[in-house]
Amino acid sequence: MRKTKVVLMAAVCLGAATCIALVPLALAQTDHDNNVLVIEGGRILSITSPPIEHGVLVIKGGKIIAVGEQGKLQIPAGATVKDVTGKIVMPGIVDSHSHIGIDPNPTVSDSQDANEGSGPIQPALRALDAIDPADPNIRMATAGGITTANIMPGSGNVMGGQTAYVKLRGTTIEQMLIPGTIGGMKMANGTNPKGYGSRGQAPMTRMEEAALARGIYEKAQDYKAKWDAYNKAVSAGDKTAKAPDRDLGLDAVVQILEGKRIVHNHTHRADDVMTVVRLADEFHYRVVVHHGTESCLVADELAKRHIGVTFTMIDAPGGKPETINFSISCPARLEKAGVKVAFNTDDPITNSRLLLRSAALAVRGGMSEDAAIKGLTIYPAEMLDLQSRVGSLEPGKDADFLVLSGAPLSVYTKVLETWIEGEKVFDRSNPVDLRYATGGFNVISRYPQLQGGGQ
Amino acid sequence: MKPSSLLVAMALTVALPAHAQSFAITADHLYTMDAGPQGGPGMVLIRDGKIEDVQTGAGVTVPNGYQAIHGLYVTPGLIDTYTSTGISGAYNIPADQDQDESTDPNTADVNVRDSLNPEDKLYQYVNAYGVTTMQVTPGPRNPIAGSAGIFKTAGPDSPFRTVDQLAVRLNSAMVFNLGDTPKETYGSNHKAPVTRMKTAEMIREALLQARQYQEKWDRWKEEKGDPGKRPALDMKLAALAGVVSGKTPAIFNVYRADDIDTAIRIGTEFHLKYMLASVTEGYLIRDKIRQAGVPCLVGAIMQPFENLQTSNATYENAALLQQAGIPIAIMTGYVGYVPKSRVLLFETAIAAANGLGTEPALRAITISAAKILGIDDRTGSLAKGKDADIVVFDGDPFEYTSHVQQVLVQGEVTYQRGGR
Repeated sequence: MRKTKVVLMAAVCLGAATCIALVPLALAQTDHDNNVLVIEGGRILSITSPPIEHGVLVIKGGKIIAVGEQGKLQIPAGATVKDVTGKIVMPGIVDSHSHIGIDPNPTVSDSQDANEGSGPIQPALRALDAIDPADPNIRMATAGGITTANIMPGSGNVMGGQTAYVKLRGTTIEQMLIPGTIGGMKMANGTNPKGYGSRGQAPMTRMEEAALARGIYEKAQDYKAKWDAYNKAVSAGDKTAKAPDRDLGLDAVVQILEGKRIVHNHTHRADDVMTVVRLADEFHYRVVVHHGTESCLVADELAKRHIGVTFTMIDAPGGKPETINFSISCPARLEKAGVKVAFNTDDPITNSRLLLRSAALAVRGGMSEDAAIKGLTIYPAEMLDLQSRVGSLEPGKDADFLVLSGAPLSVYTKVLETWIEGEKVFDRSNPVDLRYATGGFNVISRYPQLQGGGQ
Repeated sequence: MKPSSLLVAMALTVALPAHAQSFAITADHLYTMDAGPQGGPGMVLIRDGKIEDVQTGAGVTVPNGYQAIHGLYVTPGLIDTYTSTGISGAYNIPADQDQDESTDPNTADVNVRDSLNPEDKLYQYVNAYGVTTMQVTPGPRNPIAGSAGIFKTAGPDSPFRTVDQLAVRLNSAMVFNLGDTPKETYGSNHKAPVTRMKTAEMIREALLQARQYQEKWDRWKEEKGDPGKRPALDMKLAALAGVVSGKTPAIFNVYRADDIDTAIRIGTEFHLKYMLASVTEGYLIRDKIRQAGVPCLVGAIMQPFENLQTSNATYENAALLQQAGIPIAIMTGYVGYVPKSRVLLFETAIAAANGLGTEPALRAITISAAKILGIDDRTGSLAKGKDADIVVFDGDPFEYTSHVQQVLVQGEVTYQRGGR
């Protein structure tokens, strides 16, 4: 990093394609500002506009205030300028399906809190009450370039609980939660919730899973009707109106019916995907298909409803019967049908350090590179209702970005730095951070004696 | 993919009787993994399932009578030195799980040969990612797990490939498991082993008995074998006798550094010919591994953190071990859940990009692997007279976005891109 003295540039953008935003008033009106960070010289992948070969990213107060071509934006004196010439700058990755913090590392039963196996319908549960911000998996995720995550309960229940939309920073869950968000709702069908069947409990079949799901939505509709009637009476001046009993779980389900809370539905087989679609059609709620191993078989049904798929890229078929038809070409087939595809880690199923790799394997399977990169950024942001904050490098959005050593989808590329809201949370040149990228962070104190490797 | 489209693809690629076909594979970047510089242009000629000739340098000419195949990158068929693919099926239901006979901590008498199912989806899946030879090993649960075998991933063109047709070598090694898994398997039922101490003791006791058993038989043979005095047959001890006499290599599947140390202790005590598998914390104890002269089959590093013993896994392990002068190969091992198998090419790519480098990484899954398994007379490099086990790529073999174009096993195209 270096501090500029005075770098005055004409704030005139000649080519619209290479200048995403005019310098905002706040910046243009002052010629001196010590609180501005400038990332310049790198190839900027803004996602929502064409790449800029030698770009400038201007950041203030944790937000992006300008993005443009190097030499064409006015940079205030006193700004901290970081030269990343030869590197790639892209938005922080949005992981739309993760269990970091709730299934911490190492995987030992005492700390596994994703699946409340005491009953299949658990809308009152909140993932945020079980997330350990000290889980090393969270630092490993930042080493892989993830800045935003949807941390979810597991797939052992038909309705597993409320998910948490977080930034990967901070020492408390309150610091991690994205202000103003309430999270989504985890649902699951197919094999996993049938685990109750082996104990002689419901659900034992897919039929019962669907019936249980339908049951909770019916109940929530009824609950909502009672509250609507009560609120109507109160606003009409009825002082005798009696409030219905509050129900923590139904409150959350009503938010689904009202469109405020998105359902994140674990599902693999094509017929299970269609059960997800059927329920969403019936109760008019917003849903994202998660995993979607066979979703490409019903791609047209998803496309016409504008239902997106967040795909978990595993390395081989099987592990359970419903993933036996896994193929790396599924995302490409969804893309062709017009379905928006995101990629998720499902950490610990795939490691959070390798989410770029998931998109790369989709390209191996025939997907366009453009759609694959969008599947790491703006599409998952949309699936979490966070597209106004994250998922692209645009003025007004959070300054969540990565500095990469090379092309995003190459095995040889390293995430060099990860930034969240203008703060650096991962730096590969830091020896401790490096061990979160490669491994061995528990033995870091002994690591300096070991020679070689990695660098 | 539909079976019919596979049949069509196979029909297109193997239109002639398979054994009659001769191929000339030209490459922009030929990695023979034999002596000499790697990665230059060249050509491999194939006839009757064997490599007939290898020519390096620009300006090679495809001779008459050979079907030409061109690839940007061409390498020897890949060798997975330790995997449960073939005995631990894709569905992961009791019907197709045949890797762990966890009814007895000592199952030295079992043999992967009797579980192998070449029709399993994963068997063909790994072939499509370039694996032409693999050592199939019992699962991780038993301290003494049974006999491994080395097999081709595809065989003679017939509707069903028998184990014997696929076998490169049966009884290639005896597998011993240390660490968390055996004690978790039996300890939870209050059966031995409950602790690491017991796991080590059970192995030492069995090896000691096997040595005595071998001595008894040797004595009987020396005394001209009076049938009335013939020692009683014991299948477990007979299998382990091969290990203590050094005929059969032992493989210790180990993760934590102290377990690696235990393996070296037992290997030294019984003068075993042995190697280490998985070796997750090998980098922490690499000086000792080098001093012991033990080859390492380095475990799949993209495995999830399944338990405590893998929590110090590092992408740099293979590089650190190799740089310490330890002979290494890379393996995929056993996977208990989704995905049910790791892809050797993908695991090795992570090692390549984390300190090992492209050529040493390729070496670790071809010629080094063949030498460690003792099958380098047949495979592991592109050299005259060896099996025509070859992989053709359209880019850097380790790049995520490259594709395997063709795989040949013993001169037959067993995978053709676009065919599946």
